[in-house]
Amino acid sequence: MSAQAADTLEAGKRPDEKKERADKIDFKMVTFSLAGKEYGIDIMNVKEIANAGRFTYVPNAAPFVRGVYNLRGDIISIIDLRTMFHLPAERKDDDSLESLLILRVDDHAFGVIVDNIDKVVGVSSAGIQPPHPIFGDINVKYIKGIIENQGKLYIILNVEKLFAPKDEEPEQEMPGLRRGPAQRATPEAAAVAAEAPASAGGSGPAGDVNAEFIRETLFAFRRFGVSAVNDDWFRARYAEWKGMRKPTDLQLREQADADAYLETFYSRCTGELWSEDYADAVVSALPKVESRSINVWNPGCGKGYETYSLAVALRRAYPEARIKIWANDSDLLAISMAPNMVFTPENVPEHYVDHMVKGRNGYTFNQSIRESIFFEFHDVMNSNPVPPVDFILCRDTVSFLSAADQGKLFGDFCEKAKQGGAVVLGTNERMPLEGWRRVGEGPAAVYVRTA
Amino acid sequence: MRVEYINPFVESAFNVMKEVLQADVKRGELYLKSTSMPVMGVAAIVGLAGDVEGRVLFDMDKPTALKIASAMNGEDITSMDDLAKATITELANMITAQAVTKLHELGFRFDLTPPAIFTGDNMEVSNQDVEALIVPMETPQGKVEINVAIRERA
Repeated sequence: MSAQAADTLEAGKRPDEKKERADKIDFKMVTFSLAGKEYGIDIMNVKEIANAGRFTYVPNAAPFVRGVYNLRGDIISIIDLRTMFHLPAERKDDDSLESLLILRVDDHAFGVIVDNIDKVVGVSSAGIQPPHPIFGDINVKYIKGIIENQGKLYIILNVEKLFAPKDEEPEQEMPGLRRGPAQRATPEAAAVAAEAPASAGGSGPAGDVNAEFIRETLFAFRRFGVSAVNDDWFRARYAEWKGMRKPTDLQLREQADADAYLETFYSRCTGELWSEDYADAVVSALPKVESRSINVWNPGCGKGYETYSLAVALRRAYPEARIKIWANDSDLLAISMAPNMVFTPENVPEHYVDHMVKGRNGYTFNQSIRESIFFEFHDVMNSNPVPPVDFILCRDTVSFLSAADQGKLFGDFCEKAKQGGAVVLGTNERMPLEGWRRVGEGPAAVYVRTA
Repeated sequence: MRVEYINPFVESAFNVMKEVLQADVKRGELYLKSTSMPVMGVAAIVGLAGDVEGRVLFDMDKPTALKIASAMNGEDITSMDDLAKATITELANMITAQAVTKLHELGFRFDLTPPAIFTGDNMEVSNQDVEALIVPMETPQGKVEINVAIRERA
């Protein structure tokens, strides 16, 4: 990338022009590195540099806010630029110090954590080139320009835009501006939708009139949308169904028939806490998270069993991490019970008991688990206000949408999942899109994002 | 919208309206909405800030607003004058404040903005990005829709 950028830079300059520019140094910047790349910030925005650690954690803050810090009496917030830009961040002990740039924008001071602070570099502002679209890691909007100095390319960040008070939610805007995935979302949506009717008219059981009819009635009775996501299961189930029923009795006449047909569809441990082996299978298939905070989106969490199960499984795998799960469902009755679910210890798999506390009416999950989960009454077809996430847990939810809505939701998955993030689908579901690779075995349908 | 927020709003709307109107109030089925929505004629809005950001909108048609204002003041009000507007604003303030108090007891910090009232014909509120919870309330004076849109600060 930097080689290409250098070419573009060179192409725009004639040698004499370059010499003239070098004479006049009127822009100074503090340079630092993030994930191996060099960046600069206008020195006028930098109040000082510092090494600090042991930040005070602020509950409910955005994932990139590491906490607050007492700078000689002033309380300033500490932002991790690497998390903010979804770059890999090296994990440090609680006690070790981070390199901090204390910035000043308008009247606000705050600290940003970077990998390494390098030095102050003076350049000519005429030599600053506008940001090039190939600088994919960081939103072009937040880049003031790029500049070459002694053979190195520095990306100059626009601090005012990044931290402007009116723009307090850079995170909200970032997914949209991470151009690749967002733009691809629409064709992907179309791909899911288009594949369904195509296979409907195709060969095999789908060509069968009865199969056609079952497809339609499944949607009418249970809003189950047969598509590329679950077609494999649908075909296998149809073959089975034909063996079970008389030829005159193949069609689904009422809801009970639809439920009978769908009986084998549901994933393992639906409507109950996950067994230890299933939870282990899922978590071991998920990619390792290096950062200290893990964000999860759980659309269609129902009563919340799977949310709690995953929260406990992640807590066991990452005892130190900050785990946040946004769990939502559009069934008000189901989800309103979720935050205060009560269990009897005899009825839950043993490994959950350590994470429970005894309350008045029985056992509930302890505060640490409960505080990691936001249960929301929310319809995924409306705009999804979750930040970028490491994992998406969405078992047997996508299938209960129309093919067009499935495409839209997958588009949102692509927008919300971080690079290298993963989606957990239902046992009988399959990721229809390109750019995702299956990693889980057997019932753990885990797909990792590769593009 | 977080599940914990729903009940305080529903309960306080129910309690406050029942008390100030001294009448039977019925709650309709709750649902979610995200498209732009027409305003029936009188809309009082209270903003929320703090751990969250959002707003609560109280929507009713003009005859309902006048009847509610009359009932609350114990006199017949026939036009949307200052007193009528102040009364509807106060109703919005009471309901939201009680909900926020309940939420505070549960450990959520919300701040209120002073309420504002909008009146007019053919009005529409649109913020497509925000999903709102609709709490319909049936009173003897007419229908009042409470439209709550709250989201966590990301």
